[in-house]
Order: sequence, then C-alpha cells, then structure tokens
Amino acid sequence: MPLTLKDIARMVGVAESTVSRAINNKPGVGEETRRKIMKIVKEYNFKPNQLARGLAKKETRIIALLLSDLATPGYTEIIKSIEEVANRAGYQVILCNTANDIDKEKAYLELVARNRVDGAIIVGGELADKNILNLALNKEGRLVLVNRLAEEVLIPTILVDNAKGGYLATAHLIEQGLSRIAIIMGSIQDFLESEKLNGYKQALKDHNLPLREELIFETDGSRESGYNTFLNLMELDEPPGGFFVTSDLLAVGLIEAIKMGGYFIPDDFAIVSYGESLITSIINPPLTVVAEPLNKLGRLAAEYLLKLINNQSPDRVIRVLEPVLKMRASSNPQIKS
Amino acid sequence: MASVTLKNVTKRFDDVVAVNNVNLEIKDKEFLVLVGPSGCGKSTTLRMVAGLEEITEGTIKIGDTVVNDVPPKDRDIAMVFQNYALYPHMDVYNNMAFGLKLRKFPKDEIDRRVKEAAGILGIEQLLDRKPKQLSGGQRQRVALGRAIVREPKVFLMDEPLSNLDAKLRVQMRTELSKLHDRLQTTVIYVTHDQTEAMTMGDRIVVLRDGVIQQVDDPLTLYNKPNNMFVAGFIGSPAMNFLDAKLLKEGDKYYLDGAGAFKIAIPETKVKEVPEIKEYVNKQVVFGIRPEDLTDASLTHEFDITEDNSFTASVEVVEPMGSEIYLYLTIDDHSMIARVDVETKAKVGDNIKLGVDTRKMHVFDPETEEAIF
Repeated sequence: MPLTLKDIARMVGVAESTVSRAINNKPGVGEETRRKIMKIVKEYNFKPNQLARGLAKKETRIIALLLSDLATPGYTEIIKSIEEVANRAGYQVILCNTANDIDKEKAYLELVARNRVDGAIIVGGELADKNILNLALNKEGRLVLVNRLAEEVLIPTILVDNAKGGYLATAHLIEQGLSRIAIIMGSIQDFLESEKLNGYKQALKDHNLPLREELIFETDGSRESGYNTFLNLMELDEPPGGFFVTSDLLAVGLIEAIKMGGYFIPDDFAIVSYGESLITSIINPPLTVVAEPLNKLGRLAAEYLLKLINNQSPDRVIRVLEPVLKMRASSNPQIKS
Repeated sequence: MASVTLKNVTKRFDDVVAVNNVNLEIKDKEFLVLVGPSGCGKSTTLRMVAGLEEITEGTIKIGDTVVNDVPPKDRDIAMVFQNYALYPHMDVYNNMAFGLKLRKFPKDEIDRRVKEAAGILGIEQLLDRKPKQLSGGQRQRVALGRAIVREPKVFLMDEPLSNLDAKLRVQMRTELSKLHDRLQTTVIYVTHDQTEAMTMGDRIVVLRDGVIQQVDDPLTLYNKPNNMFVAGFIGSPAMNFLDAKLLKEGDKYYLDGAGAFKIAIPETKVKEVPEIKEYVNKQVVFGIRPEDLTDASLTHEFDITEDNSFTASVEVVEPMGSEIYLYLTIDDHSMIARVDVETKAKVGDNIKLGVDTRKMHVFDPETEEAIF
C-alpha cells in the first residue's frame, strides 16, 4: 500500500494540511516539522503529485506505443498482445510510428512528459537517446523498453536474447549431424546480428567444432545476397551442409539458389532461419525457424507499464526472454513438407 | 580531457527556477562535486552539462566549444547514474561493449577499449562472467567501465554510489578517487551526501534552491563557510547556531547569549574583520562546530577562562566509539559537543565547556551571511 498524506500526518503527529504545506514548500510549517516530514517523504519515496493527480482524476487511461519501424516483421503480434492486456485493464493504446526518427520520437515522448498519456512502451531502435534517458530520470516518466538497450540508466526493459537464438539454430543443425555450418547474416555492425553471430560461435565451441571464418557471410540482408552467397559457397572445396540464415529474406534467396542448382532441402542442405513470418511457414519446404516469443514480449511490456502506472515496480527490471526453435521440414528429413 | 564552463546558466521548468544564474569554471582534470539538499538543482545542472536538459539561458562550454546545441552523443561526456542497467544475458565484456557496438565502432577498437578499461578497474578476469556472478562492487565497476570505454573528456556522475550499502559505498569512494587519478580526466560528481563531497572533491559547489552558495576546496568550505546554510550543511554533526547580541565592554567585544553565555571575540578576529563593530548592540548568530567545544575538565589545547566558557546541562550522552557526542542545553539554546571519550559527563550534569574562539563564527541573522 503506498503511503498517503494521512499516514505521514499520523507518523509526524501533525495535521494533513501541514504535511501538504510542507510537501508543497508552502509557508506555515516549522523547520523541524518540515524536516521530519521530508525525511519520511524521502524514505518512503512518497510522490506528492500522486495524490493530487488521483484527486483531480487526471489519468488519461491511454498508453502510447512507440514503434521504431511499423513494417518490422512481428510487430503486429506485439501490438496485439499489448493492446489485449491494456484493454483488459481499461486502457486504450495509441500507435506511434517513429520511423527511427529521433525528432518524431521526441514529439511522441512529449505526450508522456505532458501527461497526455499515462505512459509509453517503446519498441525497437538501438540505443536509448537523451529524450528517453531524460524522461526515465524524471520520476513521472513511465516508460518500458522492448528490444532496446539503455547505457546509462536502468529502465524497465523486455528483451529477446538474440545470441541464444543463434545458439539454438546452430546447435540444432549440429544435432542433425552437420559439422560444416555457414551463417549468412546482415551487417556485423548491427548489434542484433552480431549477437546472433556470438550465439553461432558459442554453439560451435560447445560442440567442439572449429570456427571457420570462410563460413561466416556478412551481407546487406537482401534476397539477392542470400542467392549469391550460395553460389559463392559452392566455390569452396568443401561447401557447408547446413545454413543458419538470420532473416527470412536471406532465406528466400538462399532457397531459390539451392533449388536452381538442382539440390534438395534438407537432404543436401539443411536450413534454419531467424524470425517467424508468413514467408517462413508457406515457402516450400517450410522453414525451421528460431521464433521470438512475441506474444509474451508484448504481454510483459504492457504488464510492466501498468505496474509503473500504479506506482509499483516490476519484480525484475530487465527481463530477457529466450526464443524457441520451431522445427519444420527445412532442417529435418523426418518432417514432411 | 577538458575544462567545463557554465556562464549565467539558468533552467526554468514553467515558472519554477531550478537553476538560477550559475557561473562555474571546472578545470581540466578537476574532480568537482555538486552538493546540496534534494531539489537544490544539482542534478539539473549536471543534466544540462550532459545535454539531457535544455538550457533556458546562458552558455555551457566543454573545452573551447559552446555545447548548448550539441547533442549528448557528440559532447564527449559519459554519464554514470545510481541505477545502471546490466543486462543479465550479456557477459561483462558485452555489457561494457554494447554501447560502442551500437555506435558502430570497429571491432578491434572496441576490444582495445574494453580490455583497457577492465585493466584500469581490475576486472580483466571477470570479462566472461554474467552479472549475476558478480558482487555489488564488481557490478558497479562494470557500470563505470561502460563509461570509461567511451573515453570521454568529462565524466558526469549523479549519485553513483547511493544504492550501495554503507561499507561498499566507503570502499567505492576511495576507488573512484583512485580512478580519477589514473584516468586524469575531468569529473563532475553530484551527491547529497556532504561526507562524500568532502572526501572526494578537489573543489565543492554547494547549491541551494538553484543558487550557488559557495565554491571552494573542502577545508576552506569547512573552516570559512560563506553563510549559515553552508556552515550548517557541511560537517556532521552540524555546526551549532546560537542567537546572541554583540556587546562592547571597554576594548572587548562579546557575544552575549542573554545570560546563558558570554564569549569574548578574540582581538585578532576583530582586527581581521573590523566590520564586526557595526553590529554592536545588534543581534547576531554565534556559530561553533561541535568539535570546537571542549569539556573543560579534560586536557585542552587552549586556556579556558571566563571569556571563553559557559556551563550547560547534559541532555543526552551518545558514545560514538572514538568520541562522545553530548547533547546540551543552556536556557533556550541547544547544542552538540563532540568531546573526548575521557569525559565523565552524565545525563543531568551541568558541565563547563570551553569554546575554541579561534574557530568561532558569527553570522548576520538577516542575510545569514558570515561576518567571519
């Protein structure tokens, strides 16, 4: 139960109005009394606005959902699960597409700063910038980050462990009896991509397989790159038998090239892709993927924000979710397409 | 490395003035502490230097560059706050490196910086550990490491130790001071804890209600506070303030506590600060630190006479181990004396106290400014 003015008044042995005057820095309170009151305020992290706001019924019952790029695969599911939890608690959700534009993001964050919404969930993007940090440092700034990192300040965050995803994909291919496994990835400068690579390396290490630099392919992430990478790999004296592809577009290109070469999947080459999408399930053969728990991600983010709005702290400020492997025909001959 | 200059810096939040016309020159490689009670504007000042808060008026320079409109990422600063995020799924190396990775630093450069920072902090052997395998102090070092790898010109620290337990806080204070010596860089450090300020700062800025009260090295701040606020804020237990009237009898000047005490002001003080004479027959505030009151029955460094002593009643005796705090009253005045453990004073006793008048202070009750 959060502390009330009444509680403080009782603890200090003064009237509620005295506590209110002390907190609002108004005259008519003795220095010693003010000191006692402010000590309790500090000890219990009593937020003076909390009561005033409650009385004035200034809650908007609206939360903002800031998306770094609306077109990102998987966002629909995150949006749906956030909305579901919010609606159930009597909140509405407004969608804000920041398009990775810092000024647009700042403008949307103003909604939180100006109490036009009760809080915000920020999904995606890279490093939390000054607008996020400043708002998070303000006690009234109720923010939850999803798949976004903050360097300086601890902000309630839900993340997916991409390294674990890379590990699961690679370990699965190793378990299929493959020892030469290539990774076809986007830019290594992209943090999430580098995390997937770390997982790939760790899985090889844990299974006592050598890391072969010639099997790491950094690309621009396009379908063409998936196609061309296969052609390049075929030039090797000993081509790989398995592929971990870090996006569905790369996987599409790769599959096209394999089929054009007259090879069979998974008999000749096994493939695991990253991220569940419509493409990965309808392509032939259906792709084994590392799927992120998007529903849970959204649900937890909404629950975290509702807790903050109700002046509670989430049990674990940073929550890291593990992706799961969805096994389909592209990596296992036992599963029919 | 760089100096930081604040010129006429003001910050308003609607009609509240959080920082009022602050002028400050922080030297290159200096460890400057901003201290003051909650709401005094210290964190806001730091955040303006960081670029998190916009400046309402004035200019801030880092080195020779005015940074008013420079975003934080381009300011060559690194910030350390009390609540830092260590990601549980990343090892120490990656917890220190991810910011650089996201800023697209080359891999070799990241590796060099992380290993160098780990070396400075003595955590090289922990690089492949996960945060849950670390102690509180080690975690704190990782958070510092994350700031060090930025190789900033200026470190900005906002109460970085306030979440630690008392023992670790003391240890980390020393470590931070040593770190500053090793890094040879400018540090601006915010704390509400005057002990932290006194032990760490080359210079200390005392703020109150957004206004700088005094900027000085720790000893000057302690020995020559500008006003009653600084005098009361710095030092623990706080300086005693007693209402008195300035009297002149013959050539001598006295502080008269309406019969409770009558303390002569040393001639040397009167010569140094002749303005005191303007207060004759006026009310003043007599300030004396608890350690400058002595139990007259014990050995003491100065002669105790009628002119520098009074008798007070002991209300509470608080043994602190190496010393004893006596809570005393005389008439309406209450005060604390820090005396030697040899004292025989008991609750209810009337004891004679000597005042080390070389260390006495007198303040103007209206302006609260120090007369000396």
